[in-house]
Amino acid sequence: MSSALWLAVLATAAGTLLMRILPLLWMRHRLERRERDDDFDAMPQWLGILGPVLIAAVLGSSLVPSPSILLYWSATACGVAITLLVWWRLRSLGWPVAAGVSAYGLVIIILGL
Amino acid sequence: MTQPIVHAAPRAWLTGLREAIPLMSGYVPVAISFGLVATQAGFSTWEATLISTLVYAGASQFLFVSMVAAGSPLWLVVLMTLLINMRHVVYAPNLAPWLNQGRWWPWLMHGLTDQIFALAHTRLPQLPESQRLGWFAGAALLAWVSWIGGTAVGAVAGEELTRRWPLLGEVMPFALPALFLVLLAPRFTGLRWSLALGSAVIVAALLTEKGLSNAAIPLAAACGALCFYVVRFNATAGGKRDE
Repeated sequence: MSSALWLAVLATAAGTLLMRILPLLWMRHRLERRERDDDFDAMPQWLGILGPVLIAAVLGSSLVPSPSILLYWSATACGVAITLLVWWRLRSLGWPVAAGVSAYGLVIIILGL
Repeated sequence: MTQPIVHAAPRAWLTGLREAIPLMSGYVPVAISFGLVATQAGFSTWEATLISTLVYAGASQFLFVSMVAAGSPLWLVVLMTLLINMRHVVYAPNLAPWLNQGRWWPWLMHGLTDQIFALAHTRLPQLPESQRLGWFAGAALLAWVSWIGGTAVGAVAGEELTRRWPLLGEVMPFALPALFLVLLAPRFTGLRWSLALGSAVIVAALLTEKGLSNAAIPLAAACGALCFYVVRFNATAGGKRDE
């Protein structure tokens, strides 16, 4: 790799790291200010809403199978249903994921034959 | 004779490791793909692995190597990569209320990916303060190491692996949406949140399906937030509220 390319990698890495660190330091400052001033709202409401909707967006994006064909969509639908069903029964983290992946795999094997 | 103290609860970092295992099954196949794509684009195994170690942001890494391979100007490569990563800006402030002033936290933010954010946003509030640093370190470290390891494996033997076990690579990535589903399901607590979250899921899926995967997350999140405010506006206008 040329030195210019190395610089590009380092600039990208540093920029990404700063995007992850600086907002934390900003929010820490706001939280400290709230301790001194009770009327100050440290967490803007829009930020509290963005957290869950970002997770929802990541979910939506990751639900789209690749390749986007009927077989994989059927497997996705079945995997989602089983994941939710097991979560509804157990309210845990690991088992619903394991059950969903198994259901997804089974549909691909059965319908793909 | 003194008896050794037996801790009934597992160590926090072990809990973090265990709870991040579903992420691993989603990370490794994608990391193997990245290693493969990077070597095909002319990067060596060592270089591909180092990019995964330092940048550690999936979608933008794919864009980085493909733009470099296409001969794009390097300033444009850096700019586009950073634009894709802009969404990370809102992650840490959302976690900040559950983090203390420890000096390790800023450095641990290197591990704050989409998936770790989703997991931490749900789990950190449920953990006692003394366990949060250990839990986050364990979860983030496992995800980071699996991403780096997967890249190295993909760069060395990606072609052979995908040829030998094609089904494994197809099935394991479903662990990611399944995990997000489990993290998100408890948040459907009323009409207002259900509409906001549901619209974000649908818009993100539609945009990704249309090939706009990089814009899907920020646009869908904005749409979900807008939905949240519109429902409040309508409920307030009608004289009732649905929180």
